[in-house]
Amino acid sequence: MIKNKPQCYSRPSLGILRSQLSRPKRSQFNFTWLFAIIAGVIILILAIYGTTKIIETKRHQTDTETGKSLSILTNPMQAGWAEGRYNKITFRQETKINNLCNDFEFGRNDISVATSSGVGKEWIQAGGATSIHDKYIFSSSEQGKEYYIFSRAFEFPYKVSDLIFLSTKNYCFVNPSTKIQRDIEGMGVQNIEVINCSSNSVEVCFNSECDISVYGDETSGRVVKDDGDYEYVGNLLYGAIFADKEVYDCNVKRLLYRTGKIADVFIDVGRKREAREIGTNLVPHLILFQGLVMNSTSDDLISLQPLAKDIGLINDKEVAGVW
Amino acid sequence: MVAKRAQFQIQQMAFMIVAVVIFFVLVGMFFLVYQSRNLQGNYEQLQKDEAISSLSVLANIPELSCGSLCLDLDKVEVMANKDYSDFWALGSVKVYQVYPESSSIVKCPAPNCNYWEVYDSGQKNIKEYSTFVSVCRKKSEQGSVYDQCEIGKLVLGVEE
Repeated sequence: MIKNKPQCYSRPSLGILRSQLSRPKRSQFNFTWLFAIIAGVIILILAIYGTTKIIETKRHQTDTETGKSLSILTNPMQAGWAEGRYNKITFRQETKINNLCNDFEFGRNDISVATSSGVGKEWIQAGGATSIHDKYIFSSSEQGKEYYIFSRAFEFPYKVSDLIFLSTKNYCFVNPSTKIQRDIEGMGVQNIEVINCSSNSVEVCFNSECDISVYGDETSGRVVKDDGDYEYVGNLLYGAIFADKEVYDCNVKRLLYRTGKIADVFIDVGRKREAREIGTNLVPHLILFQGLVMNSTSDDLISLQPLAKDIGLINDKEVAGVW
Repeated sequence: MVAKRAQFQIQQMAFMIVAVVIFFVLVGMFFLVYQSRNLQGNYEQLQKDEAISSLSVLANIPELSCGSLCLDLDKVEVMANKDYSDFWALGSVKVYQVYPESSSIVKCPAPNCNYWEVYDSGQKNIKEYSTFVSVCRKKSEQGSVYDQCEIGKLVLGVEE
């Protein structure tokens, strides 16, 4: 190739010939390096992108597993025949527990978890939600490393389920009734102070105004918070304090539906026993009660309470109570 | 001559890059296979944990229970005819009476029956976990009411 070139052009000088000879060598060096750099950069970008994606997938997987574990960990909180239980869950990183509630019939709590990370984005989309149909979890949108869980039974008038309260904030109960104070102290719930309030805790004042105000006692009343008023009966008081309005109303609707379904079971059990000469006067009362509670909401709780109380008294007086 | 050498070097580099990419793809595939196995293992473990912890929860729900780890057979029989499909996040719920012993399993309702199918989702791949419970029924004799209790087994089925 080089030999033919002088035939086309005028005879080059020795200096030009040298520079022409050296040109391909320099371009070869440049192109090789350019090619290597471009290829290297592409490989590096792909590797970094791939690693980030793998880390995100792994975080999503871990968050999903944590959500499922949370559902399993709350099983022992369903206290059975005990009055209530308390536990603490400690995460390695800051964690957000999302609680989406669905109130159609038995409904469900969809629990998903998002953990913060020092690698990549601090927060990514929460892991896959775990649907919990047989529990009533009261929580609000919070984030923290330590979550305090305690449970109390919901009886209306028979036991319906155990209510599970989940929170990461510190609360201070100001001037509660003796029964509530004993309840809290008895369970040893660490994030609820009763007498000495620390400065960073949310104040819950009974029959006076502060961060969260409770007008009533342990049997029934109204909780006033920034996002609205919550009517409660019995241990739903804690749900009203710890949960968001949306979660509270949804869980109460689910609970009342379940109350009605249990009444339906008890009606059939009562009839079955009547056939074996184990009489009960509860059936007509339970039929009325079932009709009222099935489609009720948290606004109806206080008006339903006297009927529930009467049914409870009738059952207590019977030789063979239905529950 | 120089151009040929450059061409050869570019080819060499291209092959090298292809080899590096194939290496990373293979490593990635091994990683994904390991991860999916790990995920499957974790899923099975979590399902097992949930089933075992659900046993005591289920034995204490008011729809079935007559006390701690005690099932009321009147409630069990009523529940077998109720639609609770949206409530059970399970494959099946069965109750067996295991003592006094019986030579065969007879599904209730039937005379001398000893097996109650409370719920069956119809799923095929179900793994069962069980716990012993008391199974009691209220009886009336000469005006007094008492609980007659036997030994039973509560069996939960979860999707495999």
